[in-house]
Amino acid sequence: MFLRNAWYVAATDREVGRTPLRRIIMNEPIVMYRTEAGAPVALEDRCVHRHLPLSMGKLVDGDILECLYHGLCYDTTGACVKVPGQQSVPPGARVKSYPMVERYHWVWIWMGDPALADPATITDFHWLDDPNWGATHRYLHVKGNWQLVVDNLLDLTHLAFVHTTTIGTRALVNAKVTVDRSPNDVRVTRWTIDAPAPPTFIKAGGFTGNVDRWQIVHFTPPSFVRLDVGATPTGTGAPEGRRIGGISMRNLNAMTPETETTTHYFYGQAHDFDIHNPKTTEMIIDQITTAFLEDQAVFEAQQANMLQVPDAPQVDINADTGVLQARRILDRLYAEEQAALAQRTAAE
Amino acid sequence: MPLNFRVELIWKDTDQREAASIFLTSDGRVILQGRAVSAQERKDLSLPANADMISIDRKLSRAIKDML
Repeated sequence: MFLRNAWYVAATDREVGRTPLRRIIMNEPIVMYRTEAGAPVALEDRCVHRHLPLSMGKLVDGDILECLYHGLCYDTTGACVKVPGQQSVPPGARVKSYPMVERYHWVWIWMGDPALADPATITDFHWLDDPNWGATHRYLHVKGNWQLVVDNLLDLTHLAFVHTTTIGTRALVNAKVTVDRSPNDVRVTRWTIDAPAPPTFIKAGGFTGNVDRWQIVHFTPPSFVRLDVGATPTGTGAPEGRRIGGISMRNLNAMTPETETTTHYFYGQAHDFDIHNPKTTEMIIDQITTAFLEDQAVFEAQQANMLQVPDAPQVDINADTGVLQARRILDRLYAEEQAALAQRTAAE
Repeated sequence: MPLNFRVELIWKDTDQREAASIFLTSDGRVILQGRAVSAQERKDLSLPANADMISIDRKLSRAIKDML
Protein backbone atom coordinates (compact mmCIF):
# COMPACT_ATOMS: atom_id res chain seq x y z
CA MET A 1 0.00 0.00 0.00
CA PHE A 2 1.48 3.34 -1.09
CA LEU A 3 -0.07 6.77 -0.70
CA ARG A 4 0.94 8.48 -3.91
CA ASN A 5 -0.43 12.00 -3.52
CA ALA A 6 2.15 13.05 -0.96
CA TRP A 7 5.66 14.43 -0.80
CA TYR A 8 8.41 11.94 0.00
CA VAL A 9 12.14 12.32 0.50
CA ALA A 10 13.83 11.00 -2.62
CA ALA A 11 17.47 11.79 -1.81
CA THR A 12 19.77 13.95 0.26
CA ASP A 13 20.94 17.20 -1.29
CA ARG A 14 24.48 15.87 -1.56
CA GLU A 15 23.38 12.82 -3.57
CA VAL A 16 21.82 14.77 -6.42
CA GLY A 17 24.32 16.35 -8.80
CA ARG A 18 25.34 16.34 -12.42
CA THR A 19 25.86 12.57 -12.45
CA PRO A 20 22.48 10.87 -12.90
CA LEU A 21 21.35 8.99 -9.78
CA ARG A 22 19.03 5.99 -9.96
CA ARG A 23 16.58 5.16 -7.18
CA ILE A 24 13.46 2.95 -7.06
CA ILE A 25 10.54 4.63 -5.30
CA MET A 26 7.21 2.83 -4.94
CA ASN A 27 8.37 0.28 -7.50
CA GLU A 28 9.05 3.02 -10.06
CA PRO A 29 12.60 3.49 -11.38
CA ILE A 30 13.57 7.15 -11.14
CA VAL A 31 16.60 9.06 -12.35
CA MET A 32 17.57 12.28 -10.59
CA TYR A 33 20.03 14.99 -11.48
CA ARG A 34 20.53 18.74 -11.22
CA THR A 35 20.21 21.31 -13.96
CA GLU A 36 23.13 23.64 -14.53
CA ALA A 37 21.18 26.19 -12.51
CA GLY A 38 21.05 23.72 -9.62
CA ALA A 39 17.38 22.67 -9.72
CA PRO A 40 16.71 18.98 -9.04
CA VAL A 41 14.99 16.96 -11.75
CA ALA A 42 13.32 13.55 -11.54
CA LEU A 43 12.33 11.48 -14.55
CA GLU A 44 11.28 7.91 -15.17
CA ASP A 45 14.54 5.95 -15.38
CA ARG A 46 13.71 4.06 -18.55
CA CYS A 47 14.34 4.98 -22.14
CA VAL A 48 11.11 4.61 -24.11
CA HIS A 49 13.08 3.04 -26.97
CA ARG A 50 14.52 -0.14 -25.43
CA HIS A 51 14.06 0.34 -21.67
CA LEU A 52 17.66 1.02 -20.70
CA PRO A 53 17.91 3.06 -17.52
CA LEU A 54 18.58 6.66 -18.47
CA SER A 55 20.74 6.88 -15.35
CA MET A 56 23.38 4.92 -17.25
CA GLY A 57 23.60 7.84 -19.69
CA LYS A 58 24.97 11.34 -19.27
CA LEU A 59 24.02 14.99 -19.36
CA VAL A 60 24.79 16.77 -22.61
CA ASP A 61 24.17 20.28 -23.94
CA GLY A 62 23.39 21.55 -20.46
CA ASP A 63 20.40 19.74 -19.01
CA ILE A 64 19.62 17.15 -21.69
CA LEU A 65 19.83 13.52 -20.58
CA GLU A 66 21.27 11.28 -23.29
CA CYS A 67 20.58 7.54 -23.27
CA LEU A 68 23.71 5.38 -23.26
CA TYR A 69 22.30 2.88 -25.73
CA HIS A 70 21.20 4.76 -28.88
CA GLY A 71 21.58 8.36 -27.83
CA LEU A 72 17.94 9.39 -27.46
CA CYS A 73 17.82 12.70 -25.64
CA TYR A 74 15.30 13.90 -23.05
CA ASP A 75 14.69 17.34 -21.63
CA THR A 76 13.78 18.14 -18.02
CA THR A 77 10.06 17.69 -18.70
CA GLY A 78 10.69 14.10 -19.88
CA ALA A 79 10.05 14.85 -23.55
CA CYS A 80 12.32 13.10 -26.04
CA VAL A 81 13.84 15.94 -28.02
CA LYS A 82 16.28 14.10 -30.27
CA VAL A 83 16.59 10.74 -31.96
CA PRO A 84 20.01 10.32 -33.54
CA GLY A 85 19.82 9.40 -37.19
CA GLN A 86 16.38 10.86 -37.88
CA GLN A 87 14.77 14.24 -38.10
CA SER A 88 11.50 13.45 -36.35
CA VAL A 89 10.77 12.37 -32.81
CA PRO A 90 8.04 9.70 -32.61
CA PRO A 91 4.82 11.00 -31.09
CA GLY A 92 4.43 9.86 -27.50
CA ALA A 93 8.17 9.57 -26.99
CA ARG A 94 8.21 10.86 -23.47
CA VAL A 95 9.03 9.60 -20.00
CA LYS A 96 7.20 10.53 -16.81
CA SER A 97 8.51 13.52 -14.91
CA TYR A 98 7.97 14.08 -11.19
CA PRO A 99 7.70 17.36 -9.28
CA MET A 100 10.76 17.93 -7.06
CA VAL A 101 11.49 20.42 -4.29
CA GLU A 102 14.66 20.87 -2.26
CA ARG A 103 14.16 21.64 1.39
CA TYR A 104 15.90 20.89 4.72
CA HIS A 105 18.92 19.31 2.94
CA TRP A 106 16.59 16.75 1.45
CA VAL A 107 15.24 16.51 -2.09
CA TRP A 108 11.50 15.81 -2.10
CA ILE A 109 9.47 14.08 -4.81
CA TRP A 110 5.74 13.90 -5.54
CA MET A 111 4.74 10.48 -6.81
CA GLY A 112 1.08 11.11 -7.58
CA ASP A 113 -0.95 13.50 -9.70
CA PRO A 114 1.40 16.44 -10.43
CA ALA A 115 -1.55 18.84 -10.44
CA LEU A 116 -1.96 18.19 -6.71
CA ALA A 117 1.70 18.77 -5.78
CA ASP A 118 1.78 21.77 -3.42
CA PRO A 119 5.19 22.44 -1.82
CA ALA A 120 3.43 24.18 1.07
CA THR A 121 2.34 20.75 2.30
CA ILE A 122 5.89 19.43 2.74
CA THR A 123 6.27 18.29 6.34
CA ASP A 124 8.26 20.63 8.57
CA PHE A 125 11.77 19.36 9.28
CA HIS A 126 13.29 22.81 9.79
CA TRP A 127 15.59 21.65 12.61
CA LEU A 128 17.86 20.14 9.95
CA ASP A 129 18.92 23.57 8.66
CA ASP A 130 18.00 25.89 11.52
CA PRO A 131 20.91 28.00 12.87
CA ASN A 132 19.57 27.50 16.42
CA TRP A 133 20.22 23.75 16.21
CA GLY A 134 23.23 21.55 15.53
CA ALA A 135 22.06 18.91 13.10
CA THR A 136 23.04 16.30 10.56
CA HIS A 137 21.40 13.46 8.71
CA ARG A 138 22.06 9.98 7.31
CA TYR A 139 20.45 7.24 5.25
CA LEU A 140 19.76 3.55 5.70
CA HIS A 141 18.46 1.08 3.14
CA VAL A 142 16.11 -1.26 4.99
CA LYS A 143 15.00 -4.65 3.69
CA GLY A 144 11.63 -4.20 5.34
CA ASN A 145 8.27 -2.57 4.65
CA TRP A 146 8.12 1.16 5.48
CA GLN A 147 5.28 0.69 7.96
CA LEU A 148 7.48 -1.51 10.15
CA VAL A 149 9.72 1.54 10.63
CA VAL A 150 6.77 3.81 11.44
CA ASP A 151 5.48 1.21 13.94
CA ASN A 152 8.88 1.05 15.62
CA LEU A 153 9.12 4.80 16.09
CA LEU A 154 5.59 5.09 17.47
CA ASP A 155 6.13 2.48 20.15
CA LEU A 156 9.26 3.30 22.09
CA THR A 157 8.79 0.56 24.68
CA HIS A 158 11.27 -1.42 22.58
CA LEU A 159 14.11 0.91 23.66
CA ALA A 160 14.53 -0.89 26.96
CA PHE A 161 15.07 -4.20 25.19
CA VAL A 162 16.73 -3.43 21.84
CA HIS A 163 18.89 -0.37 22.65
CA THR A 164 20.40 -1.10 26.02
CA THR A 165 23.81 0.45 25.20
CA THR A 166 22.48 3.74 23.84
CA ILE A 167 18.99 5.14 24.36
CA GLY A 168 17.31 2.43 26.40
CA THR A 169 17.37 1.87 30.14
CA ARG A 170 16.93 -1.37 32.04
CA ALA A 171 15.61 0.29 35.17
CA LEU A 172 12.09 -0.50 36.24
CA VAL A 173 9.92 1.96 34.36
CA ASN A 174 6.53 3.24 35.37
CA ALA A 175 5.48 5.03 32.23
CA LYS A 176 2.30 6.91 31.58
CA VAL A 177 1.66 7.08 27.87
CA THR A 178 -0.74 9.54 26.28
CA VAL A 179 -1.95 9.04 22.72
CA ASP A 180 -3.45 12.14 21.12
CA ARG A 181 -5.32 11.29 17.96
CA SER A 182 -6.46 14.00 15.56
CA PRO A 183 -8.06 13.15 12.21
CA ASN A 184 -4.71 13.24 10.40
CA ASP A 185 -2.01 12.82 12.98
CA VAL A 186 -1.03 10.96 16.11
CA ARG A 187 1.11 12.13 19.02
CA VAL A 188 2.42 9.65 21.60
CA THR A 189 3.82 11.24 24.74
CA ARG A 190 5.74 9.39 27.40
CA TRP A 191 7.38 10.66 30.55
CA THR A 192 9.71 8.74 32.79
CA ILE A 193 10.24 10.53 36.06
CA ASP A 194 13.19 10.24 38.42
CA ALA A 195 14.92 7.41 36.56
CA PRO A 196 18.51 6.87 35.41
CA ALA A 197 19.45 8.52 32.12
CA PRO A 198 20.28 6.22 29.20
CA PRO A 199 23.93 6.01 28.06
CA THR A 200 23.49 8.37 25.09
CA PHE A 201 21.97 11.04 27.31
CA ILE A 202 24.77 10.66 29.87
CA LYS A 203 27.34 11.18 27.08
CA ALA A 204 25.47 14.16 25.64
CA GLY A 205 24.25 15.82 28.82
CA GLY A 206 26.76 14.72 31.42
CA PHE A 207 24.01 13.62 33.80
CA THR A 208 25.29 12.20 37.06
CA GLY A 209 21.96 11.56 38.77
CA ASN A 210 18.42 10.63 37.87
CA VAL A 211 16.49 12.55 35.25
CA ASP A 212 12.97 13.40 34.13
CA ARG A 213 12.85 12.30 30.51
CA TRP A 214 10.33 12.99 27.75
CA GLN A 215 9.59 11.33 24.44
CA ILE A 216 6.99 13.04 22.29
CA VAL A 217 6.51 11.14 19.05
CA HIS A 218 4.57 12.88 16.30
CA PHE A 219 3.36 10.93 13.28
CA THR A 220 2.07 12.67 10.17
CA PRO A 221 1.11 10.79 7.05
CA PRO A 222 2.27 9.26 4.96
CA SER A 223 5.46 8.26 6.71
CA PHE A 224 7.01 11.03 8.82
CA VAL A 225 7.82 10.62 12.47
CA ARG A 226 9.37 13.49 14.40
CA LEU A 227 10.47 12.95 17.96
CA ASP A 228 10.96 15.62 20.60
CA VAL A 229 13.20 13.94 23.17
CA GLY A 230 15.30 15.06 26.06
CA ALA A 231 15.86 15.09 29.78
CA THR A 232 16.56 17.39 32.69
CA PRO A 233 17.83 16.63 36.18
CA THR A 234 14.90 15.19 38.06
CA GLY A 235 12.60 17.53 39.93
CA THR A 236 13.49 20.68 37.96
CA GLY A 237 10.07 21.04 36.40
CA ALA A 238 10.31 19.50 32.95
CA PRO A 239 6.82 17.92 33.09
CA GLU A 240 5.45 21.38 33.90
CA GLY A 241 7.21 22.85 30.86
CA ARG A 242 10.52 24.03 32.40
CA ARG A 243 13.36 22.43 30.46
CA ILE A 244 16.28 23.75 32.48
CA GLY A 245 19.78 22.38 32.76
CA GLY A 246 19.21 19.42 30.49
CA ILE A 247 19.29 18.47 26.85
CA SER A 248 16.71 18.65 24.13
CA MET A 249 16.92 16.91 20.77
CA ARG A 250 14.86 16.15 17.74
CA ASN A 251 15.02 12.81 16.02
CA LEU A 252 13.63 13.24 12.53
CA ASN A 253 12.51 10.35 10.33
CA ALA A 254 11.27 10.20 6.76
CA MET A 255 10.56 6.81 5.29
CA THR A 256 10.16 6.46 1.54
CA PRO A 257 8.87 3.15 0.20
CA GLU A 258 11.16 1.54 -2.34
CA THR A 259 9.03 -1.58 -2.77
CA GLU A 260 6.50 -3.35 -0.56
CA THR A 261 9.40 -5.00 1.25
CA THR A 262 12.19 -2.41 1.15
CA THR A 263 12.49 1.17 2.35
CA HIS A 264 14.68 4.24 1.94
CA TYR A 265 15.09 5.47 5.50
CA PHE A 266 16.25 9.08 5.79
CA TYR A 267 16.87 10.24 9.33
CA GLY A 268 18.36 13.23 11.05
CA GLN A 269 19.24 14.35 14.54
CA ALA A 270 19.23 17.90 15.88
CA HIS A 271 20.35 19.18 19.29
CA ASP A 272 19.85 22.52 21.03
CA PHE A 273 23.02 22.38 23.18
CA ASP A 274 26.64 22.80 22.05
CA ILE A 275 25.18 23.57 18.64
CA HIS A 276 28.38 24.79 16.99
CA ASN A 277 30.44 21.75 17.92
CA PRO A 278 30.50 19.26 15.01
CA LYS A 279 32.04 16.61 17.29
CA THR A 280 28.92 16.73 19.47
CA THR A 281 26.69 16.50 16.42
CA GLU A 282 28.62 13.50 15.11
CA MET A 283 28.76 11.79 18.50
CA ILE A 284 25.02 12.00 18.89
CA ILE A 285 24.19 10.76 15.43
CA ASP A 286 26.73 7.97 15.81
CA GLN A 287 24.84 6.87 18.94
CA ILE A 288 21.50 7.10 17.13
CA THR A 289 22.91 5.19 14.17
CA THR A 290 24.08 2.42 16.51
CA ALA A 291 20.49 2.16 17.75
CA PHE A 292 19.01 2.36 14.27
CA LEU A 293 21.27 -0.42 13.02
CA GLU A 294 19.83 -2.53 15.84
CA ASP A 295 16.35 -1.56 14.62
CA GLN A 296 17.32 -2.38 11.04
CA ALA A 297 18.17 -5.93 12.11
CA VAL A 298 14.73 -6.15 13.74
CA PHE A 299 12.86 -4.82 10.68
CA GLU A 300 14.66 -7.17 8.33
CA ALA A 301 14.02 -10.17 10.54
CA GLN A 302 10.35 -9.21 10.85
CA GLN A 303 10.02 -8.84 7.09
CA ALA A 304 11.71 -12.16 6.43
CA ASN A 305 9.31 -13.90 8.80
CA MET A 306 6.32 -12.14 7.29
CA LEU A 307 7.35 -13.33 3.86
CA GLN A 308 7.89 -16.84 5.17
CA VAL A 309 4.45 -17.00 6.80
CA PRO A 310 2.40 -14.28 5.13
CA ASP A 311 -0.96 -15.22 6.66
CA ALA A 312 0.18 -15.51 10.27
CA PRO A 313 -2.00 -13.39 12.60
CA GLN A 314 -0.59 -10.84 15.01
CA VAL A 315 -1.69 -9.83 18.49
CA ASP A 316 -1.85 -6.21 19.60
CA ILE A 317 -1.00 -4.99 23.09
CA ASN A 318 -1.63 -1.71 24.92
CA ALA A 319 1.69 -0.32 23.76
CA ASP A 320 0.50 -0.55 20.14
CA THR A 321 -2.23 2.06 20.60
CA GLY A 322 -0.35 4.83 18.81
CA VAL A 323 0.74 2.45 16.07
CA LEU A 324 -2.83 1.30 15.47
CA GLN A 325 -4.10 4.87 15.26
CA ALA A 326 -1.47 5.70 12.64
CA ARG A 327 -2.40 2.64 10.62
CA ARG A 328 -6.08 3.59 10.73
CA ILE A 329 -5.28 7.05 9.43
CA LEU A 330 -3.25 5.55 6.60
CA ASP A 331 -5.96 3.01 5.74
CA ARG A 332 -8.51 5.81 5.54
CA LEU A 333 -6.29 8.05 3.40
CA TYR A 334 -5.49 5.17 1.08
CA ALA A 335 -9.17 4.30 0.66
CA GLU A 336 -9.95 7.96 -0.11
CA GLU A 337 -7.13 8.15 -2.67
CA GLN A 338 -8.27 4.96 -4.37
CA ALA A 339 -11.87 6.18 -4.47
CA ALA A 340 -10.83 9.47 -6.05
CA LEU A 341 -8.74 7.61 -8.60
CA ALA A 342 -11.61 5.28 -9.47
CA GLN A 343 -13.93 8.24 -9.88
CA ARG A 344 -11.47 10.01 -12.16
CA THR A 345 -10.93 6.89 -14.25
CA ALA A 346 -14.67 6.37 -14.62
CA ALA A 347 -15.11 9.99 -15.71
CA GLU A 348 -12.47 9.56 -18.40
CA MET B 1 11.97 -6.34 33.49
CA PRO B 2 8.35 -5.51 34.17
CA LEU B 3 6.87 -2.54 32.40
CA ASN B 4 3.92 -1.07 34.23
CA PHE B 5 2.15 1.58 32.32
CA ARG B 6 -1.19 2.85 31.43
CA VAL B 7 -2.18 4.50 28.20
CA GLU B 8 -4.39 7.56 28.00
CA LEU B 9 -6.16 8.01 24.67
CA ILE B 10 -7.25 11.50 23.71
CA TRP B 11 -9.36 11.81 20.59
CA LYS B 12 -9.79 15.11 18.76
CA ASP B 13 -12.44 15.97 16.22
CA THR B 14 -11.81 17.91 13.01
CA ASP B 15 -12.42 21.07 15.05
CA GLN B 16 -9.73 19.94 17.51
CA ARG B 17 -12.22 19.59 20.35
CA GLU B 18 -11.28 16.71 22.62
CA ALA B 19 -13.41 13.88 23.85
CA ALA B 20 -13.01 12.68 27.44
CA SER B 21 -9.96 10.46 27.79
CA ILE B 22 -10.03 6.68 27.60
CA PHE B 23 -7.56 4.83 29.82
CA LEU B 24 -6.08 1.43 29.10
CA THR B 25 -4.53 -0.19 32.16
CA SER B 26 -1.72 -2.70 32.35
CA ASP B 27 -4.11 -5.23 33.86
CA GLY B 28 -6.35 -5.14 30.81
CA ARG B 29 -9.12 -2.75 31.87
CA VAL B 30 -10.61 0.06 29.79
CA ILE B 31 -11.60 3.00 31.98
CA LEU B 32 -13.96 5.70 30.74
CA GLN B 33 -15.03 9.04 32.11
CA GLY B 34 -18.73 9.56 32.55
CA ARG B 35 -21.46 10.62 34.88
CA ALA B 36 -23.21 8.18 37.16
CA VAL B 37 -26.84 7.66 36.20
CA SER B 38 -29.08 8.86 39.01
CA ALA B 39 -31.93 6.92 40.56
CA GLN B 40 -34.44 9.35 39.06
CA GLU B 41 -32.99 8.88 35.58
CA ARG B 42 -33.18 5.14 35.98
CA LYS B 43 -36.83 5.43 36.93
CA ASP B 44 -37.68 7.88 34.13
CA LEU B 45 -35.88 5.84 31.49
CA SER B 46 -36.83 2.42 32.83
CA LEU B 47 -33.22 1.50 33.26
CA PRO B 48 -32.06 -1.36 35.49
CA ALA B 49 -32.16 -0.28 39.13
CA ASN B 50 -29.22 -2.25 40.39
CA ALA B 51 -26.59 -2.34 37.64
CA ASP B 52 -23.65 0.10 37.62
CA MET B 53 -24.37 2.58 34.85
CA ILE B 54 -22.69 5.70 33.54
CA SER B 55 -23.76 8.24 30.97
CA ILE B 56 -21.04 9.16 28.49
CA ASP B 57 -20.75 11.93 25.96
CA ARG B 58 -21.48 11.10 22.31
CA LYS B 59 -18.04 12.37 21.40
CA LEU B 60 -16.57 9.71 23.68
CA SER B 61 -18.55 7.02 21.92
CA ARG B 62 -17.03 8.23 18.65
CA ALA B 63 -13.57 8.12 20.24
CA ILE B 64 -14.23 4.55 21.37
CA LYS B 65 -15.22 3.57 17.86
CA ASP B 66 -12.20 5.27 16.27
CA MET B 67 -9.55 4.32 18.77
CA LEU B 68 -10.37 0.93 20.26
